[in-house]
Amino acid sequence: MTHVAPLPREAITDPEMLALMEQAEALGVPDDLFPRLVARAPAQAVPFMRALLMSHAQGNVDHRLKEIMRVLLARFARDDYFASLRSRKAAAMGLTEARIDAGCSSYETDPSFSEAEKWALRYADLMFLDAAQLTPDFYDQGKTYYSEAQILELGAFIAFHYGCDMFMRSMGAGR
Amino acid sequence: MATYPEKVDAAFIDSLRKYYTEEEIVELGLFIGFNLGYHTFFGSLKFYPMFSPDGRLVGQAESEKIYGAAPASLKPEAAE
Repeated sequence: MTHVAPLPREAITDPEMLALMEQAEALGVPDDLFPRLVARAPAQAVPFMRALLMSHAQGNVDHRLKEIMRVLLARFARDDYFASLRSRKAAAMGLTEARIDAGCSSYETDPSFSEAEKWALRYADLMFLDAAQLTPDFYDQGKTYYSEAQILELGAFIAFHYGCDMFMRSMGAGR
Repeated sequence: MATYPEKVDAAFIDSLRKYYTEEEIVELGLFIGFNLGYHTFFGSLKFYPMFSPDGRLVGQAESEKIYGAAPASLKPEAAE
């Protein structure tokens, strides 16, 4: 039960919102609670859902890596709602729960993670833990693994999903 | 949400209902969440205002000279 009641599904009639909800259901992230909640603010709902799905499931960075980063951020934010959801697309690509757990905790010493993956996970880790460590040297290191477009894609992904985590935590979702 | 997220509980949301509709509360929550994330991200990119204090369009090098190595908008609290 969230602090603000989500709209009943049948109250959502915007065709674009309904299409985005179908995409989300197929992906598994988010389930219908997030869209029904943001649909309380109709002017924001479609852009938020579009950005959420685009940043997670599209782009030019491995979706499995983004899925690990998404869970890492949700756990760090203590957002039980998004932390409990899993991408079916990432699972179909071979991402396991054990690898998600490793990516959220011991990635620095785990040889199964490439240096590029470690940098991206460190990026997600540091953004809200200690952004002062995101120095020009840190970004220069990132440029040895990723294009500038990919780095901005990762940064925007981290920022957006952490914001959604804090929003859902503030709504008391997942408790 | 930014500093003491644990204080945003059911009672706090109830107190907001004295001033705002549920639509507005959700709108505020999304706005705050979005800004929490993006201000920290943008802060890490260290870019500077496009305009000088007198309204001139300036480049990043000149803007850094005007606003200094640590722009006033990038307060340390934003990263915490």
